Amino acid sequence: MGLARHMAKRAIFLAITLVIAIYITVVIANGGGLIDNILKAQIKNDLTQSLHNNPQYNLLNQTAKDAYFNDKYNALLEARGLNEPFLAKSFRFTGDALTLQLGRAQYIQANDGSFQVVDIIGERLPRTLILFTMANVIGAVFGIWLGLWMARKALSSFDRGLTVLSITTFIVPPWVYGIFFILVFGFQFHVFPTQGWIGVPAPPSGTLAWYGDVFYHMLLPMLTFAFATFGSWSYTTRNLVLQIMDEDFVTAARAKGLPEHTVLTKYVLRAASPPIVTSLALTLISAWQGAIITETVFNYQGIGQLFFNAIGQFDAPVVIALTAIYAYLLVVTVFILDLVYGLLDPRIRALRR
Amino acid sequence: MKSGLFGFAILASLVFVAVIVPFYAPYDVVRNWSSYGPWQDNPRYAAPEWSEVFTGKHLPRTMIFENDTFRRAIVREYIPPPKGPLNITLINMTKTFYYDFDDFPSELSLAITAVFPAQSPAVQITLSRPDGQFVPLLTYSVRNEFRNRSQVITQNVAYSEVMESKIRAWIARENNGVSPDKLTNATILPEVALFAKNDSAQLDGHQAHLLKGFYQLIVEYTGFTLVDDVGVRFIVEGTVYGLAGTDDHRRDLLTGLLWGAPIALAFGVAAGGVVVLIQTLLGALGGWYGGPIDEFIQRASDFYLVIPTLPILILVSLFYRPGIVALLFYLVAFGIVGSTTKVVRSIVLQIKEEQFIEAAQSYGASRGRILFKYIIPRIMPYTFALVALSVPAFIFVEASLSFLGLGDPVLPTWGAIIGEAYTQGALFYGWWWWIVFPSAGIIYTTIGFALLGYAFDKVLNPRLREE
Repeated sequence: MGLARHMAKRAIFLAITLVIAIYITVVIANGGGLIDNILKAQIKNDLTQSLHNNPQYNLLNQTAKDAYFNDKYNALLEARGLNEPFLAKSFRFTGDALTLQLGRAQYIQANDGSFQVVDIIGERLPRTLILFTMANVIGAVFGIWLGLWMARKALSSFDRGLTVLSITTFIVPPWVYGIFFILVFGFQFHVFPTQGWIGVPAPPSGTLAWYGDVFYHMLLPMLTFAFATFGSWSYTTRNLVLQIMDEDFVTAARAKGLPEHTVLTKYVLRAASPPIVTSLALTLISAWQGAIITETVFNYQGIGQLFFNAIGQFDAPVVIALTAIYAYLLVVTVFILDLVYGLLDPRIRALRR
Repeated sequence: MKSGLFGFAILASLVFVAVIVPFYAPYDVVRNWSSYGPWQDNPRYAAPEWSEVFTGKHLPRTMIFENDTFRRAIVREYIPPPKGPLNITLINMTKTFYYDFDDFPSELSLAITAVFPAQSPAVQITLSRPDGQFVPLLTYSVRNEFRNRSQVITQNVAYSEVMESKIRAWIARENNGVSPDKLTNATILPEVALFAKNDSAQLDGHQAHLLKGFYQLIVEYTGFTLVDDVGVRFIVEGTVYGLAGTDDHRRDLLTGLLWGAPIALAFGVAAGGVVVLIQTLLGALGGWYGGPIDEFIQRASDFYLVIPTLPILILVSLFYRPGIVALLFYLVAFGIVGSTTKVVRSIVLQIKEEQFIEAAQSYGASRGRILFKYIIPRIMPYTFALVALSVPAFIFVEASLSFLGLGDPVLPTWGAIIGEAYTQGALFYGWWWWIVFPSAGIIYTTIGFALLGYAFDKVLNPRLREE
């Protein structure tokens, strides 16, 4: 029961975090009354257009026209809830964002022409999720492997060199490398496509070829991202392993005559796994957020690039919706990793008894 | 320790740049970074001068011919009736220059300043070439738009269809083997066609063959009073410029890059210092006092770790367009608690058990006094390491926002330069200098702080020191 209770506590905490994060977003976005003005202008514009095409309206005299227009306009404001006080409105917007009723985009369209924000985000979210999850896994596996190797050869020049390399690579964000890699591998050596998530203008036909093309386009951003993250893994793993190697239980395992490889994987790495999982959570979180710029650099049409486009076109509903999606992504990531952590960490597992 | 020295050397070099830069380019220059005026004499998209080492060619520098370098001949004459009465001023301005570079210029720019009291003067512009040919470029009258007395009109001579047809006519007259089809349809690049040999490749864009030697620009001015005057300014834009090249606004990138150093340093250190200090203080407070304060700070830092900081910061920048100082405040607001709070709290929990704290309690020191006189001084060294390690992160937040075009609207920052380069397609066109130098600046600074932080970490973290 201990784990379940622990997770329930975490779930409640994360849910509260989510609500507050989205509320902050709504307040910031509405702080200057900016969204309201945009929406009101939009309603006015739509109304003027529709009335302009109405022959009966055109026959009225000016006062009657104005009165009719104002009636209609106020009714529409009421219907959209725009004449409510800010506090009530902010709660309603938060509720909408939480229940993923994301509304209509102003300029950006989905591939099928839909203006629904859900459709727009829906078609791009999988690309981002696949790209960054895979990149993270590659970076993590390579980094942990390298970290173990570095720990085994601790303080050699190999270890020192890689330590400095690791620190530098993970402090510099992926988009900086992205620009270099595009320049070198894309434009200089023509090994990878320089941009996009699929070949343009005509993606290859055939399901297999299509998937192949998508994967080919994913490769350079993926490698860039893995390159930018492996350092954090190798450095953390190296330090953790060096710390744990000094512990008594490792010495005991060695004294029993277990092979070094078994000691490393069964004893050292096992003990190091909870902090490694925490670090996975943190890199994934920064990955989702960093996607905004990384995807823009690669012109990779995921939600990060959508965020950038929405900023450029000032498409406020999309920006707010994406911030909400980000809040969800982060909270879900943290929750899943909490769960994994709970299963891995004997101290929390012990609560189950 | 070696890594710490390296890091220190890197930071010292950056501080040195920060001290030197006002002498290279005063703040006034930087304040005008985003305006066109001060930069318009420079070539556009010019590579650094030293990059000609890779091409093995002597690439064209920008040649600016000011008015006083022209040779002038003036005739002022009153023509009486019956032919007149007519006042006439003939001014002949010539500038001879030797073109010895291995590539075509990137642009030509000519500005004429006409001083005339009443009637519009006529101007004729001709280029004389090393092969003895004269290319009449333009005959026009300076427009007298305002119709007031004593006019001084400075006009940039714009490249026009008239000029283009004159160049086509000249090439046709020389009959040098350019196909008739090309003669009528090929795009004319004046900076190439005028500096190319009269052969069949003359209109093949940059494949044309360069003609080196003495060129002469001739401006003949005919004014209709005795006080008319004219000034000429002629620029042959090169393809290379300075140490770091130029961008699409013709800005000297070296100025922006050098100013990027103090801006990044100041921003990173200020943000990192304030954020880490606040987090340290709150972490120590929580660890020392415990109870509800601790619980609250703990929950708050959990909360701050989970909220999507970057998207919210982008949102703030989008709606309120903060300058660099306002951005600093937002960053502090989003970093009141965080990972440092947790680290410091765990350290304080260890220190709490030590004997000197017990000793202080035994002689009756108050809790606040113990916190500020005994505990905080103990954790200060860690705090310095954490500041050093956190500075790059803040530099990158600023760079990321600038990259998106949401940074400070006036000052040049490395991120803003990269962002402009990216949106202008520098990757695609191969304007590498525009991207490589600011990125290198960011990475260089980052390495400096990382090495320093790593060295601190090793000194302060006994486990790592034991190795």
